[in-house]
Parts: sequence; C-alpha cells; structure tokens
Amino acid sequence: MSLDLIWTLVCKDIVLYFRNPFFAFVTVIGVVAYVAIYFVMPDSVDERLDIGLYGPSLPAALAAEFEEGGIVFHRKESTRDLRQGIVSDEYEVGVFWPDLGAAVANDEPVVVELIFANDFPTDMREAYQLMFQEIALGVLGQPLLIEATEEVLGPDMAGQQIPLRERLVPLMVIFILMTEMLGVASLISGEVEAGTIRALLVTPLRVEGFFVAKAVMSVGLAFGQAMIILVAVGGVGERPLPLIATILCGAILVTGIGFMVGSVARDMMSVMAWGMVFMIVLSIPLTTLLMPGLLGPWIQVLPTYYLADTMHQLSNFEAGWSDVSGNLLILLVYSVVFLGVGMVALRRKFQ
Amino acid sequence: MSEAIVVKNLVYRYGELTAVNDISFNVGRGEVLGFLGPNGAGKSTTIKMLTGQMRPHEGEAILLGMDITKQTKQVQAQIGVSFEATNLYEQMSGVENLKLFARLFGVKDFKAEALLERVGLAERGRDKVERYSKGMKQRLMVARSLVNRPQILFLDEPTEGLDPTSAAAIRRIVEEERERGATIFLTTHDMLEADKLADRVAFINQGKIVALDRPAVLKQAYGQRKVLVEVLTAEGETEKREITLDEADTPAQMEKLFANEKVVTVHSEEATLEDIFIEITGRRLVG
Repeated sequence: MSLDLIWTLVCKDIVLYFRNPFFAFVTVIGVVAYVAIYFVMPDSVDERLDIGLYGPSLPAALAAEFEEGGIVFHRKESTRDLRQGIVSDEYEVGVFWPDLGAAVANDEPVVVELIFANDFPTDMREAYQLMFQEIALGVLGQPLLIEATEEVLGPDMAGQQIPLRERLVPLMVIFILMTEMLGVASLISGEVEAGTIRALLVTPLRVEGFFVAKAVMSVGLAFGQAMIILVAVGGVGERPLPLIATILCGAILVTGIGFMVGSVARDMMSVMAWGMVFMIVLSIPLTTLLMPGLLGPWIQVLPTYYLADTMHQLSNFEAGWSDVSGNLLILLVYSVVFLGVGMVALRRKFQ
Repeated sequence: MSEAIVVKNLVYRYGELTAVNDISFNVGRGEVLGFLGPNGAGKSTTIKMLTGQMRPHEGEAILLGMDITKQTKQVQAQIGVSFEATNLYEQMSGVENLKLFARLFGVKDFKAEALLERVGLAERGRDKVERYSKGMKQRLMVARSLVNRPQILFLDEPTEGLDPTSAAAIRRIVEEERERGATIFLTTHDMLEADKLADRVAFINQGKIVALDRPAVLKQAYGQRKVLVEVLTAEGETEKREITLDEADTPAQMEKLFANEKVVTVHSEEATLEDIFIEITGRRLVG
C-alpha cells in the first residue's frame, strides 16, 4: 500500500470536502457556533435562592446559617412590598413570617404564609413548605414528624456542580464528530454516484488504499475539528493525553459509522436520511450529560455512551487514565469493530 | 507483431444471463481494434474484465504478457481507460483532475497543460469541470486516460453524442496514439468511425464475437460492391440505375448502359459495416 497514493487521495478529499458548500458551511459555522455558544453560556452555577421576607427577623445565627447555604433574604416592610418583589421578579417566593414567640405565648396557631409566583412549580412549592417547617422547628425547638428519603439517580455528584457551558463541551465535541460521519459518508457516496471510484480503481491504487485514505481524511478532519473546539474553549485541561485518546477513538468510531452509511446510501439525500437515523440513536447517551440519571443502564449498549461519559469525566471531573481506562477500552473496541464492519460493507458494495 | 491483448474463452454471467459467452481474440501491439455491437451485446462487460474492474467467471485475459486477474495493478499501471459515462471530479478543474491521476500513476514532471492542449482544452484548464460541456468532459476523459502514456488504451464510446468538433478532436487523438505505438481497444456505435480508425473490427452480438477482421476483408466477404449510375431520361429527368459488380454479366450490363442511356453520374458503392452487421446478426447496431 503506497503512502504516496494515500496522501494524494487524502489531499484530493480535503479539497473536495471544502468545495462542497454544505459541508464547508457546516464545518466552519459549526465550529464557530459551538465555540460562541460556549462563551455565551454562564460560566458558574447559580445556586442562590432569593426569598422575600416580611415579619420579625429570624434569629441572627439561624439567618446567617441559611445565607451561608445560599439563601438570600430580601427584607420587606409590608405584605404589599413582599408581593411587589415577586411581581418585579426580585424573587419567586415571599414569606410572611409571624412573631413565633408571641404566638406561642398567646397559645395561638402559628401560620407561616408563603407567597409564590403563579408559574412556580408545584413540587418546588412543597419543598419550600418543608423548608419553612424546618425553620420553624429550629426556632421553636419542637420536633416535627417529617420523614424524608433521598434517592440519588446516577453517580452522586453532590458538591461537584458544573456550569452548563462546561457540561456542554463534551456534547459539542461529539456533535462535531458526528457531523463528520455525514461528511465521509457523503464523500464515499459521491465517489460511487459519480463513478469516480471506477476511474480511481483502474490506476495502481488498490481498494484498500482507497479505504485507508478515506479513513485518514475522515479521522483527521473529525479529530482536528474536535480539538479546535476544545482548545478554543480551554477544555484541554491539565491531562490532555486521555482526552486526545478519547477523541481519537471517537473520530475512528464515527468514521466507521460513516463507512456503513456510505455503503447503504445511494446519493446525498439517502446519506442524510441514513445519517440522521444513526445520529438520533447515537445521540441518546448525550442526554445524560445534561440530565444525569435520566436514562437507565441500557444506554451502555450504545458506543457513544462510552464516548460521552469518558469525555464528561475527563473534561469536568479531572479524571485520569485510571478512572477512564475501562470506558476507553470499550470505546476502542467499539471503534475498531465499527471501522472494520464499515470497510467490509463498503468492499461488498464496490464488488 | 507481438500481442498486446490475448483473450481466451472469456465468460461473464449476471445471474442467469451470460453477458459474455466464451469469446477469444488477440490484439497486436500498436493495433486499433474496433469492438462493435448494439447496447447489451457485452462490450462494456468485456472492457471491464480486460481492465480489471471485474473478474471473469471463466477464461483468461493476458495483457502485455500479464494475467489481468493475477497482476491487476501491474497491468493497470500500463493501461488507460476512458469510460463511457462521464466520471470526473466536477468540483475540480481540468488541470487538477489530470494532475490527480498523474500522481496516482506516479508520473514525474507531468505537464497537464500540454495534454489539455492536445485535446483542445488549454483555455479552460483552470475552470471547474462542472462548467464544461459534454464534449469538453469527454475530451478531458480521453486526456485523463493518457496521463501515464499507456501501452494499451481502452476507449468506451468516446465520441457518442458529441459535437463534430469534439468527435474530430478525439479521432485525432486516436490517430496520434496509434502513431505513438499504443494499442487501442475502441468500442463504438459509429460504423464510419470504426471503419476509418480501426485496423480490425470485431462484431459482438449477444455475448459472442460473430465476426472479426479488417473492415475491407469483411466488406469483401459479406458485402456487395455496386455501381450507382444516374441517367437522363427522354423527359429530361434523372433516374438511378444499380449494377452489381463482380458478377458474370457485369461488363455487358455496363456496356449496354453506356451505349443506350445518357449517363450523368457514376458512383461506386461498397457495403458499410452497418450493412454487414445486419447481414450477420439480423439486427441493427443502433436502436
């Protein structure tokens, strides 16, 4: 297999790729847009709760404890001011807090009045009711019979909150990789549709060389674009090697799938149709990046789960080789298998 | 003349259909062979087997002393193929297309412009192929098949549907390549083109070669030589008379005609390859 021939084809494919208006546009705009989206997203997690309060002050120590926990009380002078704060979006929950000591002394029922914005979620209303029952308990010193059970879905990342934009980085990288899957499938389909593959294969170029050239071009483009995004958003981190290895495996994986799409598609439209089917299925594990624990363990049968999860661990939790080696191995196996299957499928098509 | 192509008992089937049925022929070095037949006769399948695009189910094809099924890439390095359907990189220019294939063939110091000049595309070499006319694309296809100065050139319907200028340019290239010493395997529907360009012609019909020889020999074997005579009648109008040559009473008929009629014009006419093909196969080459 001649490296000169392969390099010649790679150069040709890169030229053709960027002369295809659709893929040139998608590639450039995609990279720029993903980077722009990253910088538009908030760079910190806002865990502050703003609560309006009208009534005698909470005991100073208790108030301080709550404020350390991220609750900020906006003191108001009247119920009218309290309601106005909700209307003007200063806070979503207003509390009329009675003088508990006086109420208890007079043997009167204690009523803590909570005022919510009309679009405040019902579940959250219940949470606030519980919270103020707790506060009342703290102030009154009387036990309340509240039982709470906690169920954590997926890995417990309590205390490791990630800003949305950091959570999006693996998502963006994987989407760029999957776009490249359509690119390579389109190039292969184009060669078959235009008959240029026949012209290539009556030269000294072997069909294996053709596959290798396509694979090199596709892996290179996918990997390059993904790295551009990572570098642009500062996502490479202090341990770049495992991240690079993961993206490389991902690029091989999408190239293999691109070969499979190219083997079944007959033209650009069918590339898009088949490509979308693959993209939708492969995107399923990505939802766990935004909503951890949403999906069950069945998503582990999809190869992109290992890509998404590994990138998430590396990008957002400072994981190292030892943390992701299992995932990475499975991803590598998936990638090699998909590339092999893709090549076999293409070879059958050409024969 | 040593042989450039030796074909023995070649067979190819598409399922139940035998597209090429036990054909054998030789093509000498420097020879132009016209391969003629109607659509579906097996011409393209034969070319695909000879150029290593398909493996024959039976038989063998030896090109330049090498078995195409065993030394495919060595053979392909020394042949050029111009396909029937246009298959160029439309988003690339003519120059880029030629340079790409020159690199694939490992041609050093390749001059794309000189080759484009030969096919009359020098002015448009930097334009993207998608802006070329059909004739220009076909000429570029022929130019592409020449980048490696092939010893055998396969031209599959190179002039079909082309304007006279493009067709003439391609015929000129065939003549030049023959002078260079290349062997040319030419498939065409155009009988006049085959008659003019080919040293020998092979008629293929329903997968079998039904005749193979020099055009003149085929015409002698299968055709009738005639003389067409125009005479002036008493009414002052012209009439046509036809006299078949090579018959016993031909001289007497000619003598009688010139003695009794006022002869205006005399033309000799020989059978065309089309006539011969019809006579042999009972079908036309086109349509």
